[in-house]
Amino acid sequence: MTPQTLALPTLQLDQTGVEALSAQHNEPSWFLDLRRRAWRFFEEIAWPRADDEEWRRTRLTGFNIGDFHLAPPSSAPLVDRAELPAYLQQEMEAIEAAGTLVTENGTVRHHTLSPELAAQGVIFTDLHHALHEHPELIQRYFMGNNVAVDANKFTALHAALVTGGAVLYVPRNVQIELPLYGLTGAGAGVADFAHTLIIAEENAQVSYIDEMVSADEGASFHSGVVEIFAQSGAVVRYMHGQDWNINTWHFSTQQAQMRRDAQCNWIISSWGSRLSKINLEMQLLERGGHGELLGLYFPSGKQHLDHHTMQNHFADHCTSDLLFKGALRGRSRSVYSGSIKVWPHAQKTDAYQKNENLVLDKRARADSIPGLEIEADDVRCTHGATVSKIEPEYLFYLMARGLTQYQAEQMIVTGFFQEVLNRVPVEAVRRKLERIIARKVLADW
Amino acid sequence: MTSELVIRDLHVAVNDGEKAVLKGVNMTIRQGEVHALMGPNGSGKSTLSYAIMGHPHYTITSGDILLDGESILELEPNERARRGLFLAFQYPVAVPGVSMANFLRTAVSNIRGYTDQPAPAAEGRSGVVGSNLMPMREFRKEMLDKMDEFHVDRDFAKRYLNEGFSGGEKKRVEILQMAMLQPKIAIMDETDSGLDIDALRVVSDGVNKLAGPGLGIMLITHYQRILNYVRPDFVHVFYNGRVVMSGGPELAHELEQKGYQWVKDQFGANGEQ
Repeated sequence: MTPQTLALPTLQLDQTGVEALSAQHNEPSWFLDLRRRAWRFFEEIAWPRADDEEWRRTRLTGFNIGDFHLAPPSSAPLVDRAELPAYLQQEMEAIEAAGTLVTENGTVRHHTLSPELAAQGVIFTDLHHALHEHPELIQRYFMGNNVAVDANKFTALHAALVTGGAVLYVPRNVQIELPLYGLTGAGAGVADFAHTLIIAEENAQVSYIDEMVSADEGASFHSGVVEIFAQSGAVVRYMHGQDWNINTWHFSTQQAQMRRDAQCNWIISSWGSRLSKINLEMQLLERGGHGELLGLYFPSGKQHLDHHTMQNHFADHCTSDLLFKGALRGRSRSVYSGSIKVWPHAQKTDAYQKNENLVLDKRARADSIPGLEIEADDVRCTHGATVSKIEPEYLFYLMARGLTQYQAEQMIVTGFFQEVLNRVPVEAVRRKLERIIARKVLADW
Repeated sequence: MTSELVIRDLHVAVNDGEKAVLKGVNMTIRQGEVHALMGPNGSGKSTLSYAIMGHPHYTITSGDILLDGESILELEPNERARRGLFLAFQYPVAVPGVSMANFLRTAVSNIRGYTDQPAPAAEGRSGVVGSNLMPMREFRKEMLDKMDEFHVDRDFAKRYLNEGFSGGEKKRVEILQMAMLQPKIAIMDETDSGLDIDALRVVSDGVNKLAGPGLGIMLITHYQRILNYVRPDFVHVFYNGRVVMSGGPELAHELEQKGYQWVKDQFGANGEQ
């Protein structure tokens, strides 16, 4: 056991908690104001109801916010990688990064950044440090122009109680080869409000791996926000991997904005959680932007994973390419709903949206609701959705060659995901995803 | 001990119907023997091959299939493969996203018993069932050697299984898999169908290379022409769900000259539906 000195109290998720949290971190008053305003929004916005279109297929039955608390900021100093809890070290294995930020229960435990990058002006730190060291950055980018504080009840709660959080700023023309890596861990009863803010200035290039894992099998509650700014000519590769235990509640709102000729390659994988409600939006704000959004999900047991995507084309000559693939086991359920929105000026838009589901067990169910909303007349938009079962002839062929049913299913399912896996830019991440897929095939076996 | 596959009075029906497809098949194939099973389309030849391998679509209504004296009817297809049976498919399926090398390494590792051992902890996947595979380098070398030997382009290792392969390429890859898995008894279901003469020759050469004291082959075919390249020890004529004639290689020539009508005329009386 690690000795812990918890001088600070556990905070409740209420107005007092908001004030105390801000005081503990000695935050500037404008940020406290932002938190207070957010808390008011949280109180004003109603809990989702079944007649909200967006929540028609996803119910919060069993979710009680009172079950969770904000972990107090730990006074434990930063530690070396080798002193981190084993479950976090295990996640970090094989991932080679130019900078790492490990946060556990809202407190940063481990932080590195290559000196070369720091010398080039790259900023990679947690939100609390950024508030003191680079307040102008936070003032300018944090939940103002990208994800709105009042986008939904969970973003409001997030802004009121945000803790930990990763801030990555890449200056003009700086191109980073190795990825940067953010890892978030949370234990039973903890409410986690991790925030990821990525700003890639003109012609900058960066890859970011953002992962979350559970410390134990107890339920935690995550309400996260991801904001990506890809300025003109910038390239951002963002890999988001959610692998909580199957008791955790996961809410996430993520948005990427692309300026002129900017490119965003975005991969989200959802494996864990009891229930996930995820909103993802690509905003193509200026001519020539290219957004790629790939999704992988694999619920098992009684898990419920809901992804909503929006490809929002504001400007002309932009492309967006979306492919979401999901496999389902046990009695699990997935919901995919997506929309391509093309505004009147966004001529020559090329948008693609595809969702494919492989249902492995009789009682699992996948819903897919693609959609288009097009107001320009010179565009190319394609969308499609499929829900299928494992082809019995594939299974027989592989088993006739000596593969067990498990191996055959694992191979077929991995093969099904391969189209997305092939597009994962970091080898170590791809291998990790393959291992998770193998593990999920075995769930409910 | 010489392995033998004994098919004893086998009756098979298609699952979703009462329809009997096989009506009392009797046959014995031993290691070292090459049997040709000839018959017109629709006579039940493919059903026999699927039933031997344990396809879930077919129900054994009576009779038995024994490998080395033990019934295999209760075994899953992979357990039959493990005991030394192999089925070369008439129509090998393309499995999206599954690379040939990856698939074959797992298959070989199962058949040769590697996966019975726990995976080394160093691989970080000790919890994954059947994850201990034949060492990559060893496997790769053996596979590449076999690919050269059986005229399969080395690029195929990385390609997805049968996806976009021509008819001839698929059949060559079936032979390659057979060479890697080293079965005792192989059922080859119309391996010659759809092949041009060059492909037929390559595939036949492959079969001839594999044939020997350790392998029993049942070559299922509609045409006599593959028998110009592969010389069977026994020829069986299959008609209406059972073997109606058996003999030596000369039977194939007789069949070639007289045609299947000759069989139908002789056995049509109790053969009509």
